[in-house]
Amino acid sequence: MGSPTDEFFTGLEDRAPELLPTTARGTIRFDLDEDGHTGYWFVAINRGNVLVSRENREADCVVRTKKSLFDEFASGAAHILSAFNRNDVTVQGSLPLLLTFRRVFPSPPGTRDPRERVRARLGVRTGPGRRLRTGRPGRLERQETQQ
Amino acid sequence: MKELVSILDGNTFVISDVQGDIDPSPDYPSGLFAWDTRLISKWVLTIDGERLTPLSVDDLQYFENRFFLVPGEPTHYIDAKTSVIRHRTLGGLFEERLTVLNHRNEPTVLTVRMEVASDFADVFDARGGKPRPGQLRQIVDHGRLKLCHQRGHHRVETIVTSTEPGEVDESGFTFRVELDAHGQWSTTLRAVAVFPGAQGHDVRENLLGYRPDRPELRRELAEWVAAAPQLTCGSKVLDNAYRRGLVDLAALQYTGLTSQFKLTATGLPWYMTLFGRHSLIASYQALPFVPGIARNTLLCLALMQGSRIDDFRDEEPGKILHEVRYGEPGGFEEQPRTLYYGAADTTPLFVILLDEYERWTGDAEMVRRLEFEARAALTWLDTYGDLMGDGYLWYERRSPAGLENQGWKDSAEAIIHSDGALPGHPRATCELQGYKYDAKVRAARLAREFWNDPRYADRLIREAEALKIRFNRDFWIEDGEYYALALDGEGNQVDALASNMGHLLWSGIVDEDRAEPVVRHLLGDRLFSGWGVRSLARGQRRYNPVGYQNGGVWPADNSLIVLGLRRYGFDESMARLAYAMIEASGQFDGRLPELFAGYDRKVTRRPVQYPRACYPFCSSAGTPMALLRALLGLQPHEEHLTIVPAIPEQLGRIELVGIPGRWGRIDAFGHGRLRLFNE
Repeated sequence: MGSPTDEFFTGLEDRAPELLPTTARGTIRFDLDEDGHTGYWFVAINRGNVLVSRENREADCVVRTKKSLFDEFASGAAHILSAFNRNDVTVQGSLPLLLTFRRVFPSPPGTRDPRERVRARLGVRTGPGRRLRTGRPGRLERQETQQ
Repeated sequence: MKELVSILDGNTFVISDVQGDIDPSPDYPSGLFAWDTRLISKWVLTIDGERLTPLSVDDLQYFENRFFLVPGEPTHYIDAKTSVIRHRTLGGLFEERLTVLNHRNEPTVLTVRMEVASDFADVFDARGGKPRPGQLRQIVDHGRLKLCHQRGHHRVETIVTSTEPGEVDESGFTFRVELDAHGQWSTTLRAVAVFPGAQGHDVRENLLGYRPDRPELRRELAEWVAAAPQLTCGSKVLDNAYRRGLVDLAALQYTGLTSQFKLTATGLPWYMTLFGRHSLIASYQALPFVPGIARNTLLCLALMQGSRIDDFRDEEPGKILHEVRYGEPGGFEEQPRTLYYGAADTTPLFVILLDEYERWTGDAEMVRRLEFEARAALTWLDTYGDLMGDGYLWYERRSPAGLENQGWKDSAEAIIHSDGALPGHPRATCELQGYKYDAKVRAARLAREFWNDPRYADRLIREAEALKIRFNRDFWIEDGEYYALALDGEGNQVDALASNMGHLLWSGIVDEDRAEPVVRHLLGDRLFSGWGVRSLARGQRRYNPVGYQNGGVWPADNSLIVLGLRRYGFDESMARLAYAMIEASGQFDGRLPELFAGYDRKVTRRPVQYPRACYPFCSSAGTPMALLRALLGLQPHEEHLTIVPAIPEQLGRIELVGIPGRWGRIDAFGHGRLRLFNE
C-alpha cells in the first residue's frame, strides 16, 4: 500500500457519502508537489457521492501543496485550514468547496472518544439511571486537573 | 481612561485617539486592523514637529469620521494660525484626506510629517506590544512605503501611498508645504493590505477586498435601513436605540473568505470576527427586522460544522463552531482559533434558529437544504454533547488553549457555587438543557413538516418531554426555589443564583408552577439592578458589579430573559425589564455595549460602563429589536403574524410599519397602557 495520501483517496469513494452533506456538489483538484513533479487527484462530488481519479482536469477548486504535507492531512496529523492560514496551501476557485471537503479528513492519530475519557476518569456509573445527588449541594474543593 | 475614536467596516477597523493619531498603548488596541491583524500600529501627524490638539471630532458614518485640529498643546485660548482636517474613511482600504489651512494674511511654509509603522500584531497581542515571530521590514518602493511581515510562507504587506508627492523614508512621509495667505493644501494618504498567496493567485487575494467606495457604502446603508421596518414611537430613547442597533448591525457585516454571503462580526475591538453564539443570537433577535442575517448565519455555520474529533480544537462531528480567526498565529497552531469549536450552546441554537427562521420567512427550501447539517447537530446533542450519557448537555474542555466554560458564560470563573467554589468537570449548565429541549421540540416540527420523517419527530418529542421532567427534578433547588446554575460531573447541583435560569423561560422548559418563583428571583433586588438582570446575584460570594460574567449586566442575556417572561405571560415583569434596558440604552447614546456594570440603580444614577466592554457588539445591537418584539407581542403563526402588545405607559404608542415575513409586510401598533409598579 502507498502513502497516507494514496490510502486516503483510495478509500474516499466509500467513506465520503456518509460524511458529506447531500447538497455537496462540485469538483476539486489537488496538485501535490513532490521532488520537482506534481501529482494530481481529481475529486468529483455530486449529491454527497464522490468519484476519484488521477486526472489533471479543470476543477471548481484547485488546492496546491506539498505531497509530504498532504500526507499529514490524510492521516489527520495536520489541519488543512491551519496550513492554508500560514500559506503552506494555496487555493484557487471555490473555498466553500474545500470547507465542505474538510469533512472527510480523519481525526489526529491516537484520538480517543471524549465520552470514554470522561467516563473512565470519573469511574461513575453513567447513563439514564444514574442517581444524582441533588437537593444538597456538594462540591469539589479544588478543580479537577484537566488531563 | 483615554478617549478613543473608532470607525469600522465589517471586520476592518481603526481605533485612534481624539487627535486621530495611532500610538502604541498598553491599555487598548490602537491601530488599523483587518482579519485579526494589526496593519498599522503607528500613524502620528506633526506640523513643524509639533503634535496637534483636537477641536472636535465628527462621526459622520460608522465607516467615516473627521477630526478638526490645531497645532500645539491645548491652551484655554486658541488663536491658531494653522488648522488641520483629517477626514478618514474605511471601505476595504483605509483613506485619510489631510487638509492644512493657513489662516494668516501672509504666505507660510510648514513641514507636515506622518510617522507610519506596523508591528503586524495579532489582535490578542495588540496591547502587550509582544513582538511577533517572523521578520518585519519597512521599505521605500517607488514613492510608496511598504510595511511587511513574513513568517514561513505567510506574508502580509501594508502599502501606504500619498496622492501629493512628498519625501518618503522608512518611517513615514514628510511634506514641505508652501501656503499662500489663507491658502490650503491637501493630500490623500491610503493604506491597503495585501496578503500574497504562496504561489501565484490565491483566494486570499480576495482579502484585498477593494470594497465599494464611499457612495456605494452610503447607498448600501440607506437600503439596509429602508428595508427594515420603520419605527415610530413616543419614546425618543427607544427610537434611537432601534436605529442605532440597526446601523451597528449593518456596520458589522463583512465578507469572509468565502464570498457568497456576508458574516456578522461580533464586537469591536476584541471580537471583530465570527462567533457562532453571538451571530446566532443576533440573528434570532433581528428576524422580524432584517431576516437576511439569519440566513447567512445558518449557511455559514453549516459550512463550517465540526466533522471529526479534534482535541486541539474541541471539535466533534456535528458540533457548531465557536469562532473563526484569520490571524497567522492560528496557522502556526499557537492557538486553536482558526476554527474553534469549544461551545456547547451553538449546536442547539443552530437548530432553534433554523426553525425560527422558517416560522418567520416561510423559507422551507432552507430547512430542506440544511437537513443533513441539522440532523448532524441533533445527533451531536445526544452523543458527544451528552458526555455523561444521562441525557443532559455537558461540556469539558480538551484543548489546552481552549475555553474552560463553553456556554455563553465562557470566562473561567463564571460557573461557580454560591460560596464561590469551582465545580468539577464536566459541567452541564442549566440554560444548555433548556436549549436542548427547545431544539428537539422545534426539530420535531421540521422533521414532520419538511423532512417527511414523522417517526423521528415523535422520538424527538418523547425525548424532549423526558428531558423536561428530569430537568425539573434534578436542577430545582427546593430551599431557594430556583434552578441550579449547573450540575457537575458527579451530579452535584452548582447552586449560585445567576441570570442563566432566565433563558429557561425563553426555552419553555420551566414547569408552569415554577415560573413564578423564578420570575420573583429575576426581578428581585439581588438579580435585578434597576437597569437589568445581573449575570450573578448580589450576595453571591464572587459577585462583583464590575465582574465580567459575575455581576455585569449583559443586554443580550436580558433580551432572552425578556422574551422568556413574555412567553410565560409575565407581561408586567417583561415590560419592566424591557423598559429598564431601554432606559439604560439612553445612557449609552442608544448603543448598548457588550455589558455594563451591575451596580444598583439606587447607588449610581447612571449605568456604569464596564471598562473593556466591546461596542458595537452584535447581540447588544440586536437587543432593542428583541425588546420591540416582546413589547408588541409579535409571534408568527403559520401564515399570520399575531400582535399582542404589552407596552408600559412610559413608552407611549409604538408603531412598527412593514414587518417582513411570509405574510409579505405587516404593520404592528400598540399603546402604552401597562402601569409599572415600583417596589
